[in-house]
Amino acid sequence: MLKIDGINASYGSIRVLKKVSLKVPAGKVVSIIGANGAGKSTLLKSISGLMKNSTGRILYKDRNIVGIPANRIVGLGISQVPEGRQIFAHLTVRDNINLGAYHYFKRSNRLEIKERMRRVYQMFPILEKRSKQIAGTLSGGEQQMLAIGRALMGRPELLLLDEPSMGIAPLIVREIFNVIKQLNQSGTTVLLVEQNARAALKVAHHSYVLERGEIVLEGLAAELLDNPKVKEHYLGG
Amino acid sequence: MEKITLASQLLQYLITGLTVGSVYAMVAVGFNIIYNVTEIINFAQGEFVMLGGLIMVFMNVAMGLPLILAFLATIILVTLVGILMDRLAIRPIRRPSVLTLIIATIAVSILIKGTASFIWGKDPFDLPAFSGRNPITFLGAVVQPQYFWVIGFLIVTAVALSIFFDRTIIGKAMSACADNPNAASLVGINVKQMILLSFALSAAIGAVAGITVTPISLMEYDRGAMLAVKGFGAAILGGLGSFPGAILGGLIMGSIESFGAGLISSGYKDAFALIVLLVILFFKPSGLLGSIEISRIKRF
Repeated sequence: MLKIDGINASYGSIRVLKKVSLKVPAGKVVSIIGANGAGKSTLLKSISGLMKNSTGRILYKDRNIVGIPANRIVGLGISQVPEGRQIFAHLTVRDNINLGAYHYFKRSNRLEIKERMRRVYQMFPILEKRSKQIAGTLSGGEQQMLAIGRALMGRPELLLLDEPSMGIAPLIVREIFNVIKQLNQSGTTVLLVEQNARAALKVAHHSYVLERGEIVLEGLAAELLDNPKVKEHYLGG
Repeated sequence: MEKITLASQLLQYLITGLTVGSVYAMVAVGFNIIYNVTEIINFAQGEFVMLGGLIMVFMNVAMGLPLILAFLATIILVTLVGILMDRLAIRPIRRPSVLTLIIATIAVSILIKGTASFIWGKDPFDLPAFSGRNPITFLGAVVQPQYFWVIGFLIVTAVALSIFFDRTIIGKAMSACADNPNAASLVGINVKQMILLSFALSAAIGAVAGITVTPISLMEYDRGAMLAVKGFGAAILGGLGSFPGAILGGLIMGSIESFGAGLISSGYKDAFALIVLLVILFFKPSGLLGSIEISRIKRF
């Protein structure tokens, strides 16, 4: 579904991504693990269009999407849950969710939007309870759920998740990863970026290890879990 | 001749104050629209008001267009100026910081003022009042019919804007841009378009303020700066970014000015409102209706 072909990206003179290539087959969960500053988030931003100066080719359904602005990429079926959640803090939970459907928000799509909203609430019942609350007052875990809910409203076929476990209580991390699994089972392809390597490898089919902007290792997630190098560097021995 | 009592005198000050305050409130609302989407303080906001007044005079008096047509044509033209301002002065700036953008708005205001003095010269222009100039006497106070138009337009603008921002998805999308432009583009919002829209909207509101106030106070090319200062004061007073705050702030500023001029000295008219503004900023920097939490997140 997604094929990244030798992508480079830099901030000023600092190269953050060096000829990164990877594949995300339809219907799978692919994870990218790596330390802080390895370039994981930059990679996701290049896909979603937020990172503007990246070169190389990113083929989504065989179409090169490098250079297409972020606000049009979401319409192609790629939704990103950004790092640090980035919800609209001054708006209500309900408004945040509605805005997720912004790119197809029309009267004629009213029923679809309602149905998607119902599914988001079903997945995260706490959001329904807090629907009229200002989003900035939610806890970290709830904000993460809201960010995922908002992304799901955008009709994603490919969901990009950037550090969904960051700064969140372990119990809620588990809940969120369960949702990722469910989403995948119902047909959404997922590309997941995580520092929490163990959780990421458990939920993924295939994984890549990113170090200083380069892919250094790849394989079936189950195999990487047993890889001595991965164990030593990312799973705490 | 009727005797002027103190009560009727005070009522007179209040009515005049609320009228002038309505204009400040509209300017403040214009500030807030752009601020809410971009965090920019648009110092050319007062020029939109001035242009509204002068273009209206041109359309209605010089061209002889009927009131409603002239009104619409003026709003369209001033809106166009707002759009051009965004396209030519705001958007082309590379690596924009809020501060450089604010400075750009000052440059635009100087440019507009210069152009206006070139076109219209330095004399003030008058516009016929919308429904005549026969004053109505109300409890001893003299009320110009035009006052009702000014206050009425403020109410219409306020209601229309609150519906737009609270009930429509585009209004929500505009607020989302201010909140987090990156996240906004991730859900498909075209942030640049929303910025353009904010400039167009606040230019239109500025034009309405200028059109309605000109029959009362005349309009000349350099009126914009003072209106911008007062409107900015009103926006800060009410809490930058809050629409009810802008309206409250504007009405308070206008009233203070009017009472101060009437009871103390009209020479210090411009000072009173600004002194009160300073006092409020000392004690409640987030403004009357601004939330402290939000003002902590924001940069200004």
